[in-house]
Amino acid sequence: MSKPRSWSLALAIAALGCGGAPRPEARIASSQGAIRGAEEAGAEGVPQATLHLKLAQEQRQQALELIKSGDNHRADLLLARAEADAELAVALAREATAKAEAEKAAEDLETLKKRIAP
Amino acid sequence: MTAATRRPAPLVQHRAIALIACALLFACASAPPPKELVDARDAYRRAEAGAAAKMVPAELHVARESLDAAERSFGDAPTSWDAIDSAYIALRKAQRAEALGNAAVAVKAKEGSDKEARRAQQDLLLTTDAKLRNTEGALAKERDSLAKERESLAKEREATASERAARLAAETKAKDAMDALAKSLAVRSEARGTVITLSGGVVFATGRATILVGAQAQLNQVADALKTQAEHHFSVEGHTDNQGSDRVNDGLSARRANAVRDYLIVRGVSAAAITATGFGSSKPVGDNHTAEGRAMNRRVEIIVDKAP
Repeated sequence: MSKPRSWSLALAIAALGCGGAPRPEARIASSQGAIRGAEEAGAEGVPQATLHLKLAQEQRQQALELIKSGDNHRADLLLARAEADAELAVALAREATAKAEAEKAAEDLETLKKRIAP
Repeated sequence: MTAATRRPAPLVQHRAIALIACALLFACASAPPPKELVDARDAYRRAEAGAAAKMVPAELHVARESLDAAERSFGDAPTSWDAIDSAYIALRKAQRAEALGNAAVAVKAKEGSDKEARRAQQDLLLTTDAKLRNTEGALAKERDSLAKERESLAKEREATASERAARLAAETKAKDAMDALAKSLAVRSEARGTVITLSGGVVFATGRATILVGAQAQLNQVADALKTQAEHHFSVEGHTDNQGSDRVNDGLSARRANAVRDYLIVRGVSAAAITATGFGSSKPVGDNHTAEGRAMNRRVEIIVDKAP
């Protein structure tokens, strides 16, 4: 391989490596969907879920900034993190709701039992 | 330098390169895992030991795959962003599996409580229903018994009223009868009762104990009056004046009293309610020295005793 040919190959690989990652459209959309899902699940009413919702929003925002500066690869990873946080927020909200409902049902049952056999 | 002495030079070089390569490899292999990966491993272990394995195995599987991917990234490039980010994601997936496992347990607990509450409510309903039926039954019985009591009370009241009316009617009849008697005969009220006096001269012939036909109307009237005094006792007392011996007078007065008693019984007065006694001349009401007084002493008295 001649010297000029090998240089051009190295340049091409470098070009692919730096700016070659495509804009993570699918992840932009899915992370947005996950955040919306967390909001709809009532994450803002549960402290621990709120924390992860905020993390998701911040990381997504950070990822969008990175996309603007051309770092699509790192942006994709941040979006995946945002999505994971949003999904965790949904799960935490669901857990809190289920626990509250179970507690209420147990209390109701106790009240009923007292009514039957005071 | 000879060839022999020169020969080791490349060997030393190779050894140095190999040592550097080994050191680099060692450095790579012993690079400490990022905090995210440590946390992810712990979180996964927690989720696996908790409810997630049983309640949400699919979610736990996702977390496992995510952790495996993180471990691979760490193996490939321990300090890369890929390794850190994939460990971060694995941590969140493990936490998610744990939370969803807990949520599933809570949902199941709620379903259990709801089911038990429904059963308890059903029992309560049945118990209440049974109690209600019992109360209704008891109430119906009570109502029946009350109605019967009311009916019997009404009958009793009616009986009492008619009894009172009958008694009042009887009393009125008795009073009327005695009043009527008082118009034609000597009737007077004394401590021992009402005394009806029949003159001996009117009822009997002198020295005899046979009731004169002319006196029968008077005695009939007396009998009718006595029959209205159903609850009373009657004493028929015979009396004479002091003419003649006591023995004769006692016998005559007794026969006369009995004659009147018998007559009254024949006329419908109860035999059990009437007695007869002869007193002779022992109880005069007039002066035996005068004809008028003696006439007064010759008498038969019928005493209607005071109320029994």
